[in-house]
Amino acid sequence: MRTDAIARNSGPDAAAAQAAAVIARPVLDVDDALRDQRAPRDQRAGQGRGRPSPWRKVVLYGLLSVLAIPFVFPTWWMITSSFKPISQIFAFPPELWPSNPTLDGYVGAFTAQPFALQYFNSMYIAIVVTVGTMLFASMAGYAFARIRFRGQGILFLVVLTGLLIPAEVTIVPLFQMFNSWGMIDTHWPLILVSTFGAPSVLATFIMRQYFITLPVELEEAARIDGLGRWRIYWSIALPLSRSALAAVAIFTFLHVWNLYLEPTVYLQTPELFTLPQALTRYTDAYGGEMWNVQLAAATLTALPVLIVFVFAQKQFVEGLAQTGLKG
Amino acid sequence: MRSARALTSLGLATTAMLALAACSGGGAPESTPSDVELRMTVWTSNEDHLALFDSIAEAYMEEHPEVTDITFDPLPFEDYTSTVTTQIAGGSAPDLAWILENAAPDFVDSGALLPLDETLEGTDGYEFDDLSESATALWHDESGGLVAYPFSTSPFVTFANDDLLKAAGLPTSAEMQAAGDWNWESISEAGSAVHASTGKAGFVVRDFDYVTWDYLASVWNGWGAAPWSEDGATCTFDSDEMIGAFEFLHDAAFTKQSMPGPGTTADFFAGESAFTVTQISRASLLAGDFAWNLLPLPEGPEGEYSVVGQAGIGVLADSPNADAAAEFLAFFTNPENSEQLAQFFPPPRESQLNVDTLAATNPTLTPAQIEDVVIPGIEAGVTRPSHTDSAEIAQEVRGALDALWVPDADIPGTLEDVCTTIDPLLG
Amino acid sequence: MADATMTTPDRASARSGAAPTSDLASRRRKRPLLSYSTRDQLTGYLFIAPQFLGIVLFVLVPLVLIFWYSFNEWNVLAGTFRFVGTENFEKLMGDPKLAPVLQATGVFSAGLVVFNLGLALFLAVLLNRRVRGITVFRTIFFSPVVVSLVAWTIVWSFLLQDNGGINGLLQLVGIDGPNWLREGPTAMASVIVVQVFKNVGLNMVLFLAALQGVPSEVQEAARMDGASDRALFWRITVPLISPTILLTSIITIVGSLQVFAQIAVLTQGGPGISTTVLVYYLYQQAFDFHHFGYGSTLAIVLFAIVLVLTIAQWQLRKRWVFYEN
Repeated sequence: MRTDAIARNSGPDAAAAQAAAVIARPVLDVDDALRDQRAPRDQRAGQGRGRPSPWRKVVLYGLLSVLAIPFVFPTWWMITSSFKPISQIFAFPPELWPSNPTLDGYVGAFTAQPFALQYFNSMYIAIVVTVGTMLFASMAGYAFARIRFRGQGILFLVVLTGLLIPAEVTIVPLFQMFNSWGMIDTHWPLILVSTFGAPSVLATFIMRQYFITLPVELEEAARIDGLGRWRIYWSIALPLSRSALAAVAIFTFLHVWNLYLEPTVYLQTPELFTLPQALTRYTDAYGGEMWNVQLAAATLTALPVLIVFVFAQKQFVEGLAQTGLKG
Repeated sequence: MRSARALTSLGLATTAMLALAACSGGGAPESTPSDVELRMTVWTSNEDHLALFDSIAEAYMEEHPEVTDITFDPLPFEDYTSTVTTQIAGGSAPDLAWILENAAPDFVDSGALLPLDETLEGTDGYEFDDLSESATALWHDESGGLVAYPFSTSPFVTFANDDLLKAAGLPTSAEMQAAGDWNWESISEAGSAVHASTGKAGFVVRDFDYVTWDYLASVWNGWGAAPWSEDGATCTFDSDEMIGAFEFLHDAAFTKQSMPGPGTTADFFAGESAFTVTQISRASLLAGDFAWNLLPLPEGPEGEYSVVGQAGIGVLADSPNADAAAEFLAFFTNPENSEQLAQFFPPPRESQLNVDTLAATNPTLTPAQIEDVVIPGIEAGVTRPSHTDSAEIAQEVRGALDALWVPDADIPGTLEDVCTTIDPLLG
Repeated sequence: MADATMTTPDRASARSGAAPTSDLASRRRKRPLLSYSTRDQLTGYLFIAPQFLGIVLFVLVPLVLIFWYSFNEWNVLAGTFRFVGTENFEKLMGDPKLAPVLQATGVFSAGLVVFNLGLALFLAVLLNRRVRGITVFRTIFFSPVVVSLVAWTIVWSFLLQDNGGINGLLQLVGIDGPNWLREGPTAMASVIVVQVFKNVGLNMVLFLAALQGVPSEVQEAARMDGASDRALFWRITVPLISPTILLTSIITIVGSLQVFAQIAVLTQGGPGISTTVLVYYLYQQAFDFHHFGYGSTLAIVLFAIVLVLTIAQWQLRKRWVFYEN
């Protein structure tokens, strides 16, 4: 397995890599898992217990359906309740389908707060950070994997400390630093810390692990053709690493999309809020509740990503299969 | 924050990392007196309120061309004070800020606010002496200077949903009052009956939600209770009066079920409860979907009483435009503008606290309601509790009180624990 | 990726970097100013510069600063910042809330790990068979992972209200549900369960991958020896996937130390301080009460816990190395 290769290294590099492997593992294995799903049947001999009997199948479906309730019901309830008038949301018995559907909640979502702007904020921050992370993490990952330079091991170790220090630990000094730079109540702290700080280290690690596996011959051929490092990285290594980049992109996007502590600390103006922060601020002028509005906004926040996931899951898996980098 | 900022910058300079540091803004650029922009943080986002503020600001800017912009920045009410404090900590302090009475001591004692006496007294036609003494009591610093203008002294009142009472076969609120039954016991009984027959809630102490406990001041004052002594040094949560008040509330929530229990929400203004106790300003939420009535707070065992919530406007002393801000405040609260503001915020000016002024500007309320409920409420009102370190005290009390909101709570024991918890903060 | 294609970075860079230099130089039309390997070194530094400087600026400098801040205290309103010596550490030692906060943190982490891994493994075992439609269930169980965390939590906060959806459903079958978020034990349990349903899909997929990596020959051999399904699972499968179990448990523990939004939305640390975990307490002290110095002191505690867990994990991995080969 991947970690063995790391273990065979010696020196600080190996120790650091081992530390990082702990945290990097889920992402890498998600690709593995997803790819395995697409592997030809005969290669999956190890899985399962063969074909279960029809009776066992019924039990299995029943069990899975019951287990699926807490995973499906909240989303279902969120979507349906967002179309209910506020007085119906806590009606008893609970309605599984709105009897008097209304769009009041959706109208309210956009009038009570600058929701469209907040949506844009979340979206552009997530995209900027995702693209930035893909670029800088792949550059760093490439250099750590393919270029030899003095102090490489130590420098890599320094970078990996980012994995060991949760962002929550450094939130107070970061607040004071951005304060001294006049960046409080701007998007800069969210963009800069997410792109260059601790959250991006995982991406660098994933990219490094990926670039290590590329065959050396590709680069040699490129160099004979007179390509510089940047061209080799940009035109050869990067296109080959699509599946790793996809994993980095998905995880970075979800991470930034979900940030809550950081925007709560750094942002104060509703026009600058991100979605998670905005969702918790749906109260009327005097702190009264606006449940239907809040649920409508939550639905608008959750649904697009969910839909993209359902489709992208397939794309992602197929993308992995096409790279021809099966173990 | 200046020294903290300097220290941080120093630490960063020594690490000499990025060009970013070089780009740092540091302090706000010195604004020239000819190009002043003012920002006031407020916790209302009501469009009528904001429209009125804007019209006053427009009028001011016409007379004062050096002021080019005045913004009213609505912040969410629930964590208003924390947000303003964080803005100050984050170097983006407003020039003027609304201040809630429970945070008044923190702001007043810290020296963060600019003394206003000179500016206000020196403004032609301001009638500084018209400001009532009781309204300004909370807003004087150690040397006696007024550091915030108490633009709103809003009494706590009772709203009743007469339709719900009728639906439950009960007398209306006016009939209750006429029968001399306007007290907490009767309200709890009626609330209990409403809950039993309609499933709706009985009475709701608005905004309390088993979290913001200081709203319970509108109840415990009826028992003659207070959270701490006048000087703020001794906790009195464990007094017999307070125990009595909490026994009543506990009984209402868990035995009579006349008050929604913890974690249950009911909005009076959406027709979900028979009574609510809240500030008069919430009258703006009445949509006319049901027959309602406005009454004073019910009598407690100690008889009649009233409670007010206060809000002040202060000028942040550190603001580069502090003087311009103070002058704008003098205009914003002069007699004419105060009269306009009175339609939403009961003013501190004695000459304006009368039925004529208030009735003219409050279309929702009848003159009788203003005369019987609003004015006496303001005049006799006890202010909601306040103390320094309010955020921390609020949190500690909230945490300790949670033990009380279970069916078989030890009420005196819990209240004693509240005192043990907050004693170090009061001292 | 399998072992065969793995190359250590040293070997990889030795082959791709240094060795062909001379070979290449002779083919160049123009002679470069610097030798190839020097230029390559420079390129390496430039490539890692953004990431490296970011880590120094946004991780290491703040890390040093929390130690400095913990010896100081602010008064935000008065605008003062002063050195207070060890006052914050004395406050920490005498803080009556520290013990309950650490306990809540421990209970939350332990509860989360046990429930999360248990459910993840159970789901993975159920899903690890070739049955039509099984991928639909995999998608369902994984889907909360991509739902916005705050949206997910807000919905649950509605469902868990005393008059909310859960108790409404329970009432339909004649059960009078508890007031989930307002009673100490159920509040903690609720926070854990909400978090587990949100993220269990991730661990489930990891386990699924591990289960599919268990060689069929081993299972066949055991079955021929007459092992029951249960024995097969506990004696063969679990040991073989134990590295994944260890890894996921550590990831889950470290992740559980960072939980903030869920607490802020569901319980605000209550009732009492029963769900006030360390990160939430840190936030409260620093950004609600504006005790930035004491908040920094708490950050050191959090850092120490993460450090100890990381070291413990290194030690554990050494012992489990057998299963990784």
